[in-house]
Amino acid sequence: MTYSFDFASVFRNLGPLWDGLLVTIQLTVAANAIGLTLGFALALLVMSRWAAIRLPVMLFIEFFRCTPAIIQIVWFFYCVPMLFNVFLGSVTMGILALGLNLAAFNAEAYRASIQAVPREQLDAGVALGLGPFQRILHIVLPSAVRNSVPVLLTNGIGTFQQSALVAIVAVQDLMYQGKTLATQTYRPIETFTVVALVYFAVSFPVSQVVGYLERRREALAS
Amino acid sequence: MTLDFAIVVKYQDALLLGLWMTLKLTLICILFGCVLGFLLALARTSSNVVLRGVSSVYVEFFRGTPVLVQLFWIFFCLPLVLGIELSNLASGVIALTLYMGAISSETFRAALKAVGREQMDACVALGLSPFARTTSVVLPQAVLRAAPTLLSNCVSLFKESALVSAVGMADLMFVGQNISNNTARPIEVLTVVALIYFAIAFPLTRAVTVMEGCILKKLAI
Repeated sequence: MTYSFDFASVFRNLGPLWDGLLVTIQLTVAANAIGLTLGFALALLVMSRWAAIRLPVMLFIEFFRCTPAIIQIVWFFYCVPMLFNVFLGSVTMGILALGLNLAAFNAEAYRASIQAVPREQLDAGVALGLGPFQRILHIVLPSAVRNSVPVLLTNGIGTFQQSALVAIVAVQDLMYQGKTLATQTYRPIETFTVVALVYFAVSFPVSQVVGYLERRREALAS
Repeated sequence: MTLDFAIVVKYQDALLLGLWMTLKLTLICILFGCVLGFLLALARTSSNVVLRGVSSVYVEFFRGTPVLVQLFWIFFCLPLVLGIELSNLASGVIALTLYMGAISSETFRAALKAVGREQMDACVALGLSPFARTTSVVLPQAVLRAAPTLLSNCVSLFKESALVSAVGMADLMFVGQNISNNTARPIEVLTVVALIYFAIAFPLTRAVTVMEGCILKKLAI
């Protein structure tokens, strides 16, 4: 191959990439805040006794889980302003789209770990004279949250990666800045490689932490 | 504002062509990706340090970066690196196959772990060659255990395939976005496109749940 690499062209333009990374992190953190809280609420609602509550929530969760994230984002950016006549900033829209998507995935994680709380523990709660609310607060919640941490972290980092999709609707995140830079400098290889490495540098440590947590749990369980 | 879903019916041929492209791309990549994933899982559990190192770096890198970045890299950089022209379809297939290979290698690895040490010893005792051991003892069990997760990987791949629209491949997403831009009717068109994706992915995720139940029962005997 005769291509001569010039990574200096990327390093001369670290400013825009850094700005992009900040937007990406902002999107990730805010979407995770929505995902963690709304996800738990959705998990409780989807286990409700009343079908009138359960079914719409189930439909919401399944719809977000079974359609591509890119169409959710494009749909949000085109249709929400037209349908509801609201005009939000593009970063806010990105946060909402990513946050709702993450909430649907987190709801499933919470639900699985809530259902994994052994029946006997709840019976013990009854025997000890705890009320229904106290049982949720002191028995279900702590072990459900602890059990779902690895999946929640994996989903959170998944949102960090999915956030690159907002570049398609021109939110100026890391991916968008990388795309612009690649076109301006005619250096796609160097630029996209650096961008990929930046994403990797953030995701990899988190996935290692998840792996560690899972190994520790297996060791504790056996 | 009035909604007019009849507009979508007018463009059904174009949407069907896009859907066909999406399905074709997904099926080809599932096929190649599963083979690649199984080989990678074997490489990651091998005793050879080089093989293990290379496959680990590959899998971690592809799981640790956005698919969109991988796609852009392969569309814009791979032709420069290799010095050859790649068709849109070829680049799409390469990108999604590499992604599918990385995620399903993790699935196979977990399934391989479940094949007990004793069975390996039994293979040695029976005098089976390493190849026979892999194809007739390890593979069938690994595939059985991995099947539900593999199917859910396929659903993920089906959803991720919509990304190829960003590099101009005429899949369902791309066709949908084009129609929505040309007719200025994003609500109707994009909603229908989303529903088409949903109509395919949702039954498959239900199938994953059913399959998990069946396999758990089968393995419990």
